[in-house]
Amino acid sequence: MNPTVVAGILVGLVAFATVLGLVWRAQQGRIRHTDGRTVVKAAEIPGIRRLASGATLLQFSTEICAPCKVTHTVLDGIAHERTNVSHIDLDVTHRPDIASRFHILQTPTTLILDRKGIVRARIGGAPRVDELRVELDRILLAA
Amino acid sequence: MSTEKPTLAAKPGQIGIDPRGPRFGAGVTALVLLIVVALGLLTPLGPTIVERAAEPGLILLVFATVIFGWGAFAGIQRHPYGLFYKNVIRPRLSPPSHLEDPVPPTFAQGVGFVIALAGVVLHLAGIPFALVIAASAAFIAAFLNSVFGYCLGCQIYLLLVRAGILGRGGSAAA
Repeated sequence: MNPTVVAGILVGLVAFATVLGLVWRAQQGRIRHTDGRTVVKAAEIPGIRRLASGATLLQFSTEICAPCKVTHTVLDGIAHERTNVSHIDLDVTHRPDIASRFHILQTPTTLILDRKGIVRARIGGAPRVDELRVELDRILLAA
Repeated sequence: MSTEKPTLAAKPGQIGIDPRGPRFGAGVTALVLLIVVALGLLTPLGPTIVERAAEPGLILLVFATVIFGWGAFAGIQRHPYGLFYKNVIRPRLSPPSHLEDPVPPTFAQGVGFVIALAGVVLHLAGIPFALVIAASAAFIAAFLNSVFGYCLGCQIYLLLVRAGILGRGGSAAA
């Protein structure tokens, strides 16, 4: 193949990967509002008895996920700022059934549940802390 | 197993790694794979397996495959680029802000190993563009990891488990 064409393909490949990276980064941590039809019961989540009286941050992690650990620390901190918010971190490495039940495609994924367990929002990737605080306050006020 | 407060951050007895090490290594890997793509496009596909085995692009992809395998099976802590980072580059930098678990980058090396090995085998079998396509796919993953901090295990581990490709027991690179 002609070296000029090859150089063009290489530039194209790098440009394509850069666009992919920018799109991926723009999606990570964004809060997506859900239709409010999915309800999570405490009994479905291993290891807990009841949901928090205000809101629950339900995080899904695996062992093969470095940002999950950072997210765990961040969400724990946010939950501790408020008295009626709890943070649950579920390791689904060996529980694909739970991952399927909640349609988890990537980790970390965080669901924000209101006091009734209704899934109000969903965050794929490491959450953006300021946006999450605003969203949480909105859910707490609406309840 | 799942508990209310799993100790994901602290694994007793396991030492974290400087997260900049794997990202540096991914940058070197991306450059090597880009050269493989260039060589694969510049060299016409040889008519016999012996000629294909002697092509520079194939030889370099075999090298990349061996490096991926080293990282996947010996662990990311013994990865040659990682050791270069640790011994030559890290002493000149400030300490890392935090340490990370070695499992995710080791898993990513395993995925790279499978893709690169598939490229080597299919190229030797005489499949046109197998070398270029495999090297391009691995390049994109390595580039995203190095430049954007993309975490391959976060994106594909659950998909592979749910598709039944990885068992319940763990990862290909465990």
